[in-house]
Amino acid sequence: MSAAAVQASAAGTYVHWGVIAISLTNLIIIGVMLLVFALAILLPFPGNRRERESGRRS
Amino acid sequence: MSVAGGAAPSAAPASSNWTVWLRTHLQRTVPRGQWLPDRQPAYVASWIYVFGVLTLTSFVVVLASGGWLALGGVTWWHTSSVGHFVNSLHLWSVELFMAFMVIHLWGKFWMAAWRGERGLTWITGAVAFLGSIATAFTGYLSQSNFDAQWISTQAKDGLNAVGIGAWFNVLNPGQMLLWHVALLPFVVGVLIVLHVVLVRRHGVVPPIDADEPAGQRE
Repeated sequence: MSAAAVQASAAGTYVHWGVIAISLTNLIIIGVMLLVFALAILLPFPGNRRERESGRRS
Repeated sequence: MSVAGGAAPSAAPASSNWTVWLRTHLQRTVPRGQWLPDRQPAYVASWIYVFGVLTLTSFVVVLASGGWLALGGVTWWHTSSVGHFVNSLHLWSVELFMAFMVIHLWGKFWMAAWRGERGLTWITGAVAFLGSIATAFTGYLSQSNFDAQWISTQAKDGLNAVGIGAWFNVLNPGQMLLWHVALLPFVVGVLIVLHVVLVRRHGVVPPIDADEPAGQRE
């Protein structure tokens, strides 16, 4: 059996929660996107730090 | 027009001239200096403001890899190693395009980015998002593999049920390919250009507790 045929026959892993059913892959992708969103808000922007330091020196 | 006697052309603008009309409208839409500004308000120095540009850059890769696929054709992208690579490049640039766009959307939603006469900016972005979903959907239908067949047969009943199956026929791969490579990218491209022009016209939306910069067009 070829690798492509093995992949095509794989059902994938699904997470069930009441009426909600979502593939584990999609759930992980959504989780990573939420993490990136949170980091984008929380992490300082490097250029901003440089500007602040140069402003303090001048 | 007369140039007899070597007279210099009139200095007064010719209002009937279409180039003058176009130039006036362009300058009214986005005044000179706002097209490619080299300075932004301090609040723009945040990672959350990066995702709009990331969406744009991935869109450029999507267009370039899609154009390359169109040049090579179906047999090429299914059988050659370079074709496989470009096919994957197209898929993953679309994945990043959609992910960056959704994070951009989350950021702008929680900033209430329609404030300060930016309603049309918000609407063009939202419609571009919906158009991108339709473009991605027709892309999945144009893969010319079993995945495309499966998705098209699953979608057919739903689209028939809402009454559009007769003229948007997902079981017609030729029609879906043309929607994917011609109609929808054109619509999404025009919406993105309008969206960027409106962002340049009105400026980047400030945080809710920050003041609007002086001199910004509304």
